[in-house]
Amino acid sequence: MNGNPNRRELLQGGAGLALGLGLAGCGVGNIDRGSLAETEKPIRKRVDGDLVYFNYSEYIDPDLVKKFEKRYGVRVRESYFDSMSAMMAKLRAGIAYDVIFPSAEYVQRLRSGFLLRRIDRDKIRNIDTVYSYFDDPWYDPGAEHGTPYGLYATGLGYRADKVTGMTGSWRDLGEADSGDRSFLLDDHQEAIGMANLVNGYPLNETDRDKLEESKDYLVDLKPKLRGVSADTITNMASGNAWIQHLWNGDIVNIRYQVDNPEDYRFQKCREGLPVGNDNFCIPVNAKHPGTALLFIEFMLEPEHAAQNVEWIGYPMPYEGAATEAFQGLVKDDPEINVTIEDLENGQQFENLKGDGRLAWDEVWTEFRVA
Amino acid sequence: MNENRFASGFLVPPGVWLLLLFVVPLVLVLALSFGYTDDLGEAIYSTRLDNYERLVDPDYLPVLFRSVGFALAAVVLCLLIGYPVAYYIAIFGGRWKNVLIALVVLPFFVNYLIRTYAWIAMLGDDGLVNGLFDSSIRFLNTPYAVIGGLVYGFMAFMILPIYASLDRMDPALIEAGKDLYGGPWQTFLHVTLPHTMQGVLAGSLLVFLPAVGDFVSASLLGGPEEVMVGNLIQQQFQASDNWPFGAALTVAMMAFLMIFMLFYLRAAARETREATA
Repeated sequence: MNGNPNRRELLQGGAGLALGLGLAGCGVGNIDRGSLAETEKPIRKRVDGDLVYFNYSEYIDPDLVKKFEKRYGVRVRESYFDSMSAMMAKLRAGIAYDVIFPSAEYVQRLRSGFLLRRIDRDKIRNIDTVYSYFDDPWYDPGAEHGTPYGLYATGLGYRADKVTGMTGSWRDLGEADSGDRSFLLDDHQEAIGMANLVNGYPLNETDRDKLEESKDYLVDLKPKLRGVSADTITNMASGNAWIQHLWNGDIVNIRYQVDNPEDYRFQKCREGLPVGNDNFCIPVNAKHPGTALLFIEFMLEPEHAAQNVEWIGYPMPYEGAATEAFQGLVKDDPEINVTIEDLENGQQFENLKGDGRLAWDEVWTEFRVA
Repeated sequence: MNENRFASGFLVPPGVWLLLLFVVPLVLVLALSFGYTDDLGEAIYSTRLDNYERLVDPDYLPVLFRSVGFALAAVVLCLLIGYPVAYYIAIFGGRWKNVLIALVVLPFFVNYLIRTYAWIAMLGDDGLVNGLFDSSIRFLNTPYAVIGGLVYGFMAFMILPIYASLDRMDPALIEAGKDLYGGPWQTFLHVTLPHTMQGVLAGSLLVFLPAVGDFVSASLLGGPEEVMVGNLIQQQFQASDNWPFGAALTVAMMAFLMIFMLFYLRAAARETREATA
């Protein structure tokens, strides 16, 4: 009767502690691996509710979103992530999205965890415009769990009116005369991948001795850099960066912001070209997969795809209007485009396993603290 | 008994609040720091010491020293700028006091990240300041820019507690100091400053703690060398998919910050003793 009110809290505190200790072996978050049966459930293409949308911000033409809302009488409830890790964290927290935009690597991860609904290609009009390169991609055999969205290649953006000595090599980042205004991309994969390529190794090298050489390359590069930054568009448009390690579409977006767009150019580097693509995917716990399917189909309509390409500044791998739209956008510097040959000759980041992944993380951390 | 019950009932909401938002997350971070990640990049709880073994590396020391150095510099600058501002508002603000304090707080309604981006626009090579003075000073990507960003970011945390302690002080004390033939400077040193020491200590701590763990300023305004502990932690959580190592870094930093916290608690206790003596 006379119970001390603090006792309950104490008990709860104890429970919390026990929970912490009892967690050993458990994963963070609660989407345990899905089941194959769940991913296989066919999706009926029909409006089954508002679209819960999860993407990078500024990575779709907002007018198209409005048009979709109008056509189907639904609301698109948008939320954004700023990295693939952040996306995974939200998915792990069990939040239900209807359409997400993972990169190829993450499609592979999500798929292998049975976390993506199978998309019946026959149900999507215009799916045959997608480059046949993506009919059976390495990250998604049979292309059954994702539809390609933006396409990108990594290279060096530079100011043709300021920089001298660009030679077509990754080494230009540290060696061309950029007036001490060179920026490395703040992305551990892209930075280490570049160093691997410079040293003549494959993009995804995981051998520790070879990675050590790549680390040395990056550490030697450091004093020649002004910054390590992912704000590529701000850096170049503000005049702070004259050479910036970046993704091709960023150059298009920079050009939209400056008075002398023709001076902002893109160089693919001869030691190797990192390429990649983002995708439309429907998570296994989506509440409105029918609307999501309609949305993917809507975005694949040639007219919409072309409009979107011009807005996001990144190419999309669809034959016809979308491809032509991007070619038109980069007429004066076709290097900015990502062609099918680029996809075939380029290299893509893969999911590294165990020690390889740890080794990359250590190289990056050691480079940052060096 | 009923009264007692009633009173202790008030302890339940803050108790639950502390438990849910402080104790549980802390326990989870601690538990996670002994974990590892699987091949899908998912963090798994475990009992491994790997993350701490990785931390015991002298390479991390410069980052720690840099973080503390930047944070201390930010505290000193906030104090040098913030004290006179608080003093002016408290002593000479008159009926404008509340308006002036509102003006101090107003910029903080805007997100810290956005305010830091505004600095890039202002201080860039082709930015507002260089344009205005027709100069070509390189402000950005320097340690000074990072410290400046921290000072600007956390200034209100210094001004408000100092203002509060000045506002509480009886102005007659300053009069008394002057009556005792103290010059303005001596009066300040022997009367005003000691009376506002609690505010100074609280403000310093409130600036130091977030500044030492900050990553925004270093990542947006710094150069390749300006890496702080916060940047390493952010990297682990947002890019490397290695939450357990990020958790270990967090635990190590919290343990380190406890030293400063204890120093503050001792100093604050001394101040209270002296004030009530």
